[in-house]
Amino acid sequence: MSDPVLQVIDLTKRYRATVALDHVSFGLRAGEVCGLLGENGAGKSTLVKALSGVVAPDQGSIRLRGNPFSPTSIVEANRLGISTAFQELSLVPSLSVAVNLALPHPPRNVAGLVSSREVRRRAELTLARYDVTDVRPDDIVGQLPLGMRQRVEIVRALARNPSVLLLDEPTSALSDREWLFRLIDRELNGRISILYISHKLDEIRRLCRRCIILRNGCKVLDSDLAAMSDGDIFTNMAGRSVVEAFTRRASSVRKGAAARLRIENLAGPGLDDVSLALAPGECLGVAGLEGQGQSALFRTLVGLPPATAGAIALDGVTMPIRSARDARSKGLVLVPEDRKAEGLFRDLSTLANVSLPVISTVSRFGLIDRRGERKAVARVTPAVDLAERYLNRNIGALSGGNQQKAVLARALLAGAKCLLLFDPTRGVDVGAKQSIYAMMAEFVGNGGSILFYSTELDELVHLCDRVLVIYRGRIVGEAREADLTQAAILSLASGTHPGSVAHAVPAVEAVQ
Amino acid sequence: MTTETEQAVQTAATRPHPAPKLRARLLHPDLVPAALVLVATVTLIVGLKLTIPGFGSLPQLTAILVTAIFLVVASFGQGLVILTGGIDLSIGTVIGIGGMIVANLTRGSDDMLLYALPMALLCCAGIGLVNGLGVAIARLPPFIMTLSSSIAFFGVALGMTAGSSQQSVAPALQRFVAGSWLGIPLPIVFIVLFALAAVLVQNRSPAGRQIYAIGSSPRAAAILGLPVAGLTVAVYTVSGLCSGIAGVLLAGYSSSATLDMGNALLMPTIAAVVIGGARVTGGAGLYVGTLAGALFLSTLSTAITALSLSQGLRSVIQGAVIILALLLQSRQGDRLTS
Amino acid sequence: MRDGAGSVRALGASAALPAFALLVLMFAIYASRDASALTVFGFGNLINNAIVLAVAASGLTLVVLSGEFDLSGSGVVAIANVVVATTSTGRLGSLGSFAVVLVIGLAVGAINGCLVTVFGLQSLAVTIGSLIVCQGIALMILGAPGGDVADAIASGVTGDVGGIPIAAIIVLGVAAAWLVLKNTREGIGLYAVGDDEIAARLSGLDVRRTRFLAFTAAGLLYAVAGYLFSAEIGSGDPRISDSFLLYIFASVAIGGTSLTGGRGGVLGSLIGAGILTVMQKMLFALGVAEFYTNIFNGIIMVVAIFFGQIGPLLFRLGRPRAA
Repeated sequence: MSDPVLQVIDLTKRYRATVALDHVSFGLRAGEVCGLLGENGAGKSTLVKALSGVVAPDQGSIRLRGNPFSPTSIVEANRLGISTAFQELSLVPSLSVAVNLALPHPPRNVAGLVSSREVRRRAELTLARYDVTDVRPDDIVGQLPLGMRQRVEIVRALARNPSVLLLDEPTSALSDREWLFRLIDRELNGRISILYISHKLDEIRRLCRRCIILRNGCKVLDSDLAAMSDGDIFTNMAGRSVVEAFTRRASSVRKGAAARLRIENLAGPGLDDVSLALAPGECLGVAGLEGQGQSALFRTLVGLPPATAGAIALDGVTMPIRSARDARSKGLVLVPEDRKAEGLFRDLSTLANVSLPVISTVSRFGLIDRRGERKAVARVTPAVDLAERYLNRNIGALSGGNQQKAVLARALLAGAKCLLLFDPTRGVDVGAKQSIYAMMAEFVGNGGSILFYSTELDELVHLCDRVLVIYRGRIVGEAREADLTQAAILSLASGTHPGSVAHAVPAVEAVQ
Repeated sequence: MTTETEQAVQTAATRPHPAPKLRARLLHPDLVPAALVLVATVTLIVGLKLTIPGFGSLPQLTAILVTAIFLVVASFGQGLVILTGGIDLSIGTVIGIGGMIVANLTRGSDDMLLYALPMALLCCAGIGLVNGLGVAIARLPPFIMTLSSSIAFFGVALGMTAGSSQQSVAPALQRFVAGSWLGIPLPIVFIVLFALAAVLVQNRSPAGRQIYAIGSSPRAAAILGLPVAGLTVAVYTVSGLCSGIAGVLLAGYSSSATLDMGNALLMPTIAAVVIGGARVTGGAGLYVGTLAGALFLSTLSTAITALSLSQGLRSVIQGAVIILALLLQSRQGDRLTS
Repeated sequence: MRDGAGSVRALGASAALPAFALLVLMFAIYASRDASALTVFGFGNLINNAIVLAVAASGLTLVVLSGEFDLSGSGVVAIANVVVATTSTGRLGSLGSFAVVLVIGLAVGAINGCLVTVFGLQSLAVTIGSLIVCQGIALMILGAPGGDVADAIASGVTGDVGGIPIAAIIVLGVAAAWLVLKNTREGIGLYAVGDDEIAARLSGLDVRRTRFLAFTAAGLLYAVAGYLFSAEIGSGDPRISDSFLLYIFASVAIGGTSLTGGRGGVLGSLIGAGILTVMQKMLFALGVAEFYTNIFNGIIMVVAIFFGQIGPLLFRLGRPRAA
């Protein structure tokens, strides 16, 4: 085989205490689609950023067609032949599709002004070339649904005629995956190589012959896919075999008890009509493709923003939840998705982060009683296995896993009777994951209830008593007992099995 | 050979920088700006003593402290507001309004003082409350809200008064600002008590802790269910109250009041907070730093007067130290993230 | 038919529309009370009163569109004013002082831009610092109100060409320059950077360069505003009114430019400056005492920003997402 088009040698990148990439090396051959797999926080995104010129690696080098490649900007990376469709989408919302496709250097006329006619003409050609028929060049990107934006993002990356194309979770919001697969099959003619980042195994199997697996910043596998079973791949991604990772515990659902949390016909921004019931001692999973309303569901439950319709009842008492303060006083506590922006107070010590919910009650004469504060915190840190020595450190200096343990400890201290955990193991190391699983088991064992969303399907399958599948702001199905498998969840989540909706309704009622 | 050198360079680069560690052991990192500013203040005083013979007598140093009282008080409010990530540009006007109310209600006698004082402070706190509601409830950008209310309330006050008090302020107030207790000037006693209370409120009370949290991450604070709106309103109200106190004291000090007498204090309150090490985006900074900043700026004022330099120079230096302090802070931040 | 760049224009125009209606309404009230408003002289007088604010607000608009704040405007105006008042009747002459003033504005803008983009400092705090420095420098150049502005400047700016006030020509010039800028790569970049900094960077735009240019251009326009201000008042005053800073921001906000960046435009700010000027005339014509003008200014500012925040929301709700 010919020399690799792209060669990554010993690439290393650190962010403070965390090593995001640890001496990663691999090659990409011409005309190849190579899968890049890994759990959240394994270093996939950092690798993408290093390859596309967004971040500079601390060590190691990259070679493109044999030449050293160290771009200082995205534009330079594009010019040298690497372009990227980012997961978080790099389109400017207030500009039209046509202008976005033309950035950063829209064509100019003789007067030096940007020629809007030329911009539109080129956009029409580009959209047609890549079979995008339902997006018009004049559409404002911010007003398009997420799936369409993702297609525009992919088209823009392709239109730059790269020799290496990076697709970072390109189907996270895409309803029509076949469009992308067709495009890849067609464009792939030996001229372009694709690094396909995903954690959906079926896509990887459909498109790639070879895959690379990252775990905790290290490359743990680089192999032909044909030789690997799904189990092998999961084992490599998680760093443990699926069986040993989740010690199966007896369900602690208090059967016959009145529902802890009952939601009826809840609606709000991004949320169409959701009903569910959560029993004491139950861990209820929520699954769904990105952007199907799961985030809205969790946020509406703590009043951010309040629901526009429907009812929320806790322990049989229906009450409006207008703010997170309301929710907390009723025992509903959210552990948010975006830990950095919404979970942490980076200027405070770990101790102060954890003690915030009870800080007013551990005061004497209007001043904080430091010993009381420490005592209160010590009540919850063992449950999440957070070592005492971290308490005095600034929380920003902790690893992702310890940060998340602190956030969970805070949720316990806030007096949660019903924990709303939104992807709590994102960017968390294996050890911390185990602590989080143990904490969850203990919490439900003591009669608490958990509503649990995760992007890792195996977590849902192994930790939950039931899993509800959300699609376009509605619950479209439920997987339980024998049906609680990754395959069942996936088929429900893609909205391809409308028949299962009928089965879902009695299932919800059965718990009530 | 080359590889060895490269390795040596690499280890040198990756080795943790020894200086910050050493300093951290001697002094809590948050206190570093305060200490630096205090050192600068002392240096300034010593420098003046060397250049101007006769400078630095005890009465003169006491005078510096006494004139620092307005800044010490007003910048506490500014500091709390900045801690939440906001800014209060109404402080100048509110100081003027506070002074004017006391002067106009007392009219040179002590009879009405017990009525005038609460009245003045209530009005000033009220303006702060309006600011707070505008920021927390109507979600207006703080600098727009406070600048607008400053202009509007200035208009109201101008309509109700002639812009300056016709008679002098209550003598009791003048005696307080000029008086002393056991040989210590009362303003200095006041400063010490005020600073003590301020430190306790900002750094030891539950509300103070929650204010830090709000400034550090407003979104996380909202998700956690902290009383974000309530505390934001409270902080602006306290700022209005502090400005009112400063205004009353300033009226006592200058024995009369004008509506624009606080304008010269607005920018120094911001400067005092920023050079004291507070982060302008909120969440970080100690009152001790602000206090040091206030002392430094009033020493600077005295120095410029003593050297009979242009008042313009004072502004130039004030502005320059704000920018300098911001630059120093950003370098500290770089070191943390790298 | 909307075109690519025109979509941006549509967004900007929709926000400036209520402002324009308000301007017409206020002008109508003013004209009904004071017939001279409709004469050529009256109109020229109005434009002359608005021009300083209009130019300064145009400068600020660029910075605000890029997603930053700049409070140094009234400081640069003050320096420009005292420089013109101390040098234009001397050796430098009116053109020489104009050049000096432009250089000063450029320098302040570039320093602001550098501190914000290269050193990554928060723009609000930094420009408060440079505002204080500028005010101090103005005070050092001219300790008290005084000085003299060359007659050529005063008559030049307040004069007219064939019956059209020079000030009106300047306003039209600013508007025309903006319409050109908006359709350049830099103009599109300005909107992109202000709307979504991260997306703009990932799209390959140079966020720092865009913002630096915005600050520098703003400094230049403040300097021009200061020069025009000198022509209007005919002397120097180091302590330009504090409320001028508010007026600049008010013009931008009333004109529909979002203070979070990415939406609005210079045309709106020109209308905003017009509204503030006409409002003062209207209140005066209605016999309202002067101090009430302050109260009105404060309130209109708050109201403008408040509705500026509500406006885009209504705009979004009014147009349901395409499925």
